Amino acid sequence: MRETFTKGMARNIYYGGAVFFFLVLIGLTVDTVKRLPATDNRENLTEQVAEGKRLWEVNNCIGCHTLLGEGAYFAPELANVYTRFGESTEAIKAFIKYRPVDGIEGRRSMPQFNLSDEELEDLAQFLKYVDGIKAARDWPPNIQG
Amino acid sequence: MKYESQGIAKLYFIAAIALFVGQILFGVTMGLQYVMGDFLFPEIPFNVARMVHTNLLIVWLLFGFMGSAYYLVPEEAERELFSPILAKVMFWIFLVAGALTILGYLLVPYARLAELTMNDLLPTMGREFLEQPTITKIGIVIVALAFIFNIGMTVLTGRKTVINLVLLTGLVGLAVFFLFSFYNPDNLVLDKYFWWFVVHLWVEGVWELIMASLLAYVLIKVTGVDREVIEKWLYIIIAMALISGLVGTGHHFFWIGTPDYWQWLGSIFSALEPIPFFMMTLFAFNVVNKRRRDHPNKAAVLWALGTAVMAFLGAGVWGFLHTLAPVNFYTHGTQITAAHGHMAFYGAYVMVVLTMISYSMPLMRGQKAANVNAQKHEIRSFWIMTISMVIITLMLTAAGIMQVYLQRYSADPLPFMVVQDRLAHFYWAREVAGLAFLYGLFLYIYSFFAKGPEVADVE
Amino acid sequence: MNSYDTQLKQATISSLFSLLNLTVLPVIGFIFLLLLYKKTEANNIDHYYAVLGIKTNLLAGVALLLVSALMIVLGGFNSVWTWVFVISYFVFVHAMFILFATWTMVRSWTGKELTKSFLSK
Repeated sequence: MRETFTKGMARNIYYGGAVFFFLVLIGLTVDTVKRLPATDNRENLTEQVAEGKRLWEVNNCIGCHTLLGEGAYFAPELANVYTRFGESTEAIKAFIKYRPVDGIEGRRSMPQFNLSDEELEDLAQFLKYVDGIKAARDWPPNIQG
Repeated sequence: MKYESQGIAKLYFIAAIALFVGQILFGVTMGLQYVMGDFLFPEIPFNVARMVHTNLLIVWLLFGFMGSAYYLVPEEAERELFSPILAKVMFWIFLVAGALTILGYLLVPYARLAELTMNDLLPTMGREFLEQPTITKIGIVIVALAFIFNIGMTVLTGRKTVINLVLLTGLVGLAVFFLFSFYNPDNLVLDKYFWWFVVHLWVEGVWELIMASLLAYVLIKVTGVDREVIEKWLYIIIAMALISGLVGTGHHFFWIGTPDYWQWLGSIFSALEPIPFFMMTLFAFNVVNKRRRDHPNKAAVLWALGTAVMAFLGAGVWGFLHTLAPVNFYTHGTQITAAHGHMAFYGAYVMVVLTMISYSMPLMRGQKAANVNAQKHEIRSFWIMTISMVIITLMLTAAGIMQVYLQRYSADPLPFMVVQDRLAHFYWAREVAGLAFLYGLFLYIYSFFAKGPEVADVE
Repeated sequence: MNSYDTQLKQATISSLFSLLNLTVLPVIGFIFLLLLYKKTEANNIDHYYAVLGIKTNLLAGVALLLVSALMIVLGGFNSVWTWVFVISYFVFVHAMFILFATWTMVRSWTGKELTKSFLSK
């Protein structure tokens, strides 16, 4: 490195670059948050859906599944499971309700969470709400998630 | 070791390695569950093994960063640590809290753990990597504050070197961004958006400052290169890390319900994220090439070079592979993600901590470097772990390509579980490589106990 | 005959273009390498690195383009296994070439040739 490019210049690029792009990130964040109502399906974010999100969290569904592509890669993508199950909350509820306690021999198994009917309904409504989020290019690419 | 309080690092490093072993044991457990789906079900379902694996990783790396800071800051600041007793107390608090949390994951169903820890008062549980009960998270903040206070006071009342200040900035950033883990809105899009303010701004942001400063420190020590040269490189590297990584956060905002402009911004800026890792490779190769001494700790030199190379490959190259939106549309949330994640974490953060341990442990034990035999085993463990990780990554990459082709790209896509069955041989190969990695780790630990002739003290 | 300083500078430029040809300036980088090669004389450091750059990139051309093309032709464009092999192979081998070219570039900055072990002086 030539001596025309000094440590001081490098330090200034670091300070300037970091501050500038941090401000850009903040600006973009403000703009994104403002635009979210058009895509985030908040009109369907009911108390019940919020309860469903809480159940999703305290049962750690993300520990095996992905939701909008984020999470673990052991079990299927669930952002579009509502559509995949024929737009049926009943189908979703039945799937969760009838998981065998000891799993399925030799296969990747989902626990039996012993959820009440009300909890199952909350969780299914949450997944229906997620399916309604307008992800760019209508991600995932197809019905299989 | 010039200052007595540097020795506190030893405690932190021992805990780090012990937790690392735990992490890998649960890793190979999950690898087996991928192919023998009901292994340990229902006692330890996959998601429990996973949260143990990932949380142990994060906690042991934090112990590693803290130990590294306790070792290098007194030396750089040219004074003893501000409060050695605080460092020791915090060590035990962090270790016990961490152990209890992991035991909580294993012994109690997660929903029950949420009830017991009063998650409802401020619900923060149930998100990836942030599975810790809210009370544990509060504990982490307290430990982090005490740590930053201790290190901060040491730096502020001592010599402020560039390495010190960059490390401190990284650590403060780590603590500040962790606060976003307390924000858990009902709105899933908002939840996901700000979750990345912890995860991305950590591993593709402030953690890079920590990594670069630790690497710079070790390279100065083992090559004798001029501090001025290293300090200039360090500024350039971290400048590129933040210039690319801040808006580069956008490569996580492609498909989660956020505006379309992120596909452009995220792609362009994150495509630049390999640059700081490329520069670290140039930097490491260059200073070793131009070194003024042959340091007797050959293992440490190898770890330092290996860190730069593997971080560039795992974070830089493999990251670039799936960072552009048109590619990511098909690969998002597949084994490609897992492939990148493993090599990136190992190359950048696991290896930089192991580099610091390799360099400082002998010094804390009163030697210039480990004996010839110990170094031989350590160097062998370096190669076994590194090559195993490359194989793990290649197997997951191959699995990911097949998964994308069959499940995402095909005109007639197959269901997830059907595709997973087709990937079985890749997963078996990955598991074998994982077991080899575990063996490498045991060899690494053994190297600290191996006896042999001392190294010649060549300067 | 160029002075040693000029030769050293030419050597570093050659190794830079070798790396550029492997990354952001394919073909153009190679043309530059050939032009640089023509200006060198045997046994000098600039000649060594120009030749090394040309050899590296010819080998990379075969390994990356020819072998990949063969895999696609022999395996079939529409076969999943073709893409599993081709993409994995290309990424890994390309990365190895980039690492090698990076190493030789840094080495050229010292004015020395490559040695068997990079840990030796």
